[in-house]
Amino acid sequence: MAGTIYRKPMTFAVAALVAVLVGSVATMAYPMLRADMHPKVEGLKPLSPLELAGRDIYQREGCMGCHTQMVRPLRSEVVRYGGMRSPEPAGRYSIAGEFAYDHPFLWGSKRTGPDLAFEGWLKPAAWHAAHFKNPQAVVPRSNMPAYAFLEGRLLDGAEMQAHMRALRVVGVPYADEDIAKAPAALLGKTEMDGLVAYVISLGKAVDRGTRAVVEARLDLQNPVAGNAAAVAKGKTLYADNCAACHGDAAEGTPEVAPSLVDDVFLEVKGDMPDAAYITVVKGGSDAKKALGRPGFKEGGMPAFSGQLSDEEIWSIIAWLRERKAHPTGGK
Amino acid sequence: MNDYRYDHRTVQGFILSAIFWGVVGILVGLLISVQLWYPAANFPPYLTYGRLRPVHTNGLAFGLGVGAIFGLSFWMVMRLAKRPLLFPRLARVQLWLFNVGIAAAAVALLAGYTQSNEYAELEWPLDIAIVVLWVMFAVNILGTILKRREEQMYVSLWYIVATVVAVAVLYIVNNLAIPAGPMKSYHVFAGVNSANVQWWYGHNAVGFVFTTPILAMFYYFLPKATGLPIYSHRLSIVAFWSLVFAYLWTGAHHLVYSPLPDWLQTLGIVFTLFLIAPSWGSVVNGYYTVGQDWSKMRSNYLTKFFVLGITFYGLQTVQGPTQALRVVSQLIHFTDWVPGHVHMGTMGWVAMIVTASVYYVIPKIYGVQIHSERIANVHFWLVLVGQLLFSLTMWITGVRQGWMWKATDQDGKLVYQNFMDSLVGNYPFWQVRTVAGVVFTVGMLFFVYNVLMTIRKGRAFEAGRAAPVGPAAASTA
Repeated sequence: MAGTIYRKPMTFAVAALVAVLVGSVATMAYPMLRADMHPKVEGLKPLSPLELAGRDIYQREGCMGCHTQMVRPLRSEVVRYGGMRSPEPAGRYSIAGEFAYDHPFLWGSKRTGPDLAFEGWLKPAAWHAAHFKNPQAVVPRSNMPAYAFLEGRLLDGAEMQAHMRALRVVGVPYADEDIAKAPAALLGKTEMDGLVAYVISLGKAVDRGTRAVVEARLDLQNPVAGNAAAVAKGKTLYADNCAACHGDAAEGTPEVAPSLVDDVFLEVKGDMPDAAYITVVKGGSDAKKALGRPGFKEGGMPAFSGQLSDEEIWSIIAWLRERKAHPTGGK
Repeated sequence: MNDYRYDHRTVQGFILSAIFWGVVGILVGLLISVQLWYPAANFPPYLTYGRLRPVHTNGLAFGLGVGAIFGLSFWMVMRLAKRPLLFPRLARVQLWLFNVGIAAAAVALLAGYTQSNEYAELEWPLDIAIVVLWVMFAVNILGTILKRREEQMYVSLWYIVATVVAVAVLYIVNNLAIPAGPMKSYHVFAGVNSANVQWWYGHNAVGFVFTTPILAMFYYFLPKATGLPIYSHRLSIVAFWSLVFAYLWTGAHHLVYSPLPDWLQTLGIVFTLFLIAPSWGSVVNGYYTVGQDWSKMRSNYLTKFFVLGITFYGLQTVQGPTQALRVVSQLIHFTDWVPGHVHMGTMGWVAMIVTASVYYVIPKIYGVQIHSERIANVHFWLVLVGQLLFSLTMWITGVRQGWMWKATDQDGKLVYQNFMDSLVGNYPFWQVRTVAGVVFTVGMLFFVYNVLMTIRKGRAFEAGRAAPVGPAAASTA
């Protein structure tokens, strides 16, 4: 009778173990032997000591309880979470080879807040610092806890060296030199610096080059200037794409992003024509040089050329012009 | 009467410990449910959502769940082996180590020491303590079964043995890490491989903490409480082997549309669909068992706990496979739908069966009746309503949120480009969820009160029985 196994506990335990191991070997152990479980994109760099310190803090604070770091290959996600802002023209989703140095993976399982996989392409360091300190001051109805306490805590170089050595054991290629230099790189840096550095590194582990430099063609005219329909459209586009940093009324956010309705442009008094605006919107902070103005020191304006069409950007500028004409909108 | 004594103190110790950690875990759950719609309820650095969420999940999975599994498994093994535990003092040590370990785990998580893999958050020194605890448990369980006085092993013992074996494999593999400090380590696995190992573990933590030991309780305590024998022995055999075989293949359904190789995702989805069969094997067995005499629903207050529990298990094991389908996953993954699903399993299935089993065991220890069947009924209805309100709310807002994230217009532009649009829309639902949590918590407090009063009554009964023995025995001797 097959029933005898139910009278022999050790035989039974072994049988149960075998039953459990078959699927474990097939789906967990065997895949480890395959190359498709260990891809690595070319040029992948380990995190810097400061970024690694930030990742440790990200883990410690349980950020993955609310934020994912994995953009699925769905059009709506690629568009929403910054996949269109990375330099690849067709946009991108998360691919396996980007995570080769992630011990463990931090994809998360719940999106109470937005995905952060490509956060480095989305917002500048200054925005994150202000947001971590007091999220509601930057995003009014956010439910994120405040992490102002990170500002007062200095990072420990020796501790980070130990972390780098442990990571080297599991395969992250830190050279002796990298580890030796870590304390100097972390000197005087706070936990806040680390977390910000980590978050803006997301999506940028690989040097994907930069977008083609946007030429500053100041002779261009705004084709939709003053067009009421374009202004209305620009208002909506502004709210969706720009307000998070520049404020709902384009009045700017202290320490994060400048006002767009005063007569200071890239930190120099005196406005510039619409063509200068579209140059900065399309090219991001990289375009500042072409315009010969210094701009906000910590500036991290992302490039919108993959995200918004020229016509949409002109509409936003048309709306901004309307606001500037308003008596409260500038000087 | 038997000529030996069961180790009831240890069983009761585990049950009371589980109840204590359960109350802690549920109260933390209430706090984090408030934090989601009222961020001022975060108190950095220790009491933020990020640090408290693992306290909630670990407190309930390991504190309440594993505590109850230890205690009730000892009870079942002793009864089914017809002998006391082989190593009763080891079980006492295990009880103390368990409580020290859970307390240390809670403190460590609040301090931010975490490996950040779900349900495997605890850092390496605590992992070692948990492995030691599990070895102690395994030695006592397997040893007692080996030295049993009843030849045939009942189905509950199969599930307990499978739990002992599977959890050991899962826990050790997924916690392989290189220490980087006294309370910091890095997973030896990286990237997609790390994700695959974690969800192989994560899904089977559900399988072998929230399913197999709870089925052991179901198969044992349902017949005990109702007096109705299990409907089909053959069905229980088929369901057992196919369940423990198929479960381990399914972890990848947590990684649908992730960078994990597609063949692994598909394999995980296929086995997940298959898993409906063994799960429903137990559901059918449960229904047909009670079907032998449905009047037990009225005449025996515990029957409804088991029937509703197995009903939610049945719903859970259809809903889960549905979620694994790619087309469904792309809508509901990462949304509130998933916590809605999880809480149907934990609040509807696990909590129902565990509390009913405790209601059966505690009076039996003292040979008394439960303190109050009416309070047990109030407890039943409150946890039922609380859980339904919780899960339904999360399913509605999960679909709403998933749809808002996906909605695009005819140009392929997002309709709700600002993430905050979908988030602030969650707040009213999350407020309802907090209310649901309060209802559930009140129900569980009725349960705790009922258990404590029954123990008090039992102790008084024991004292009363013992008291006359002294002088009366002396005079007759």
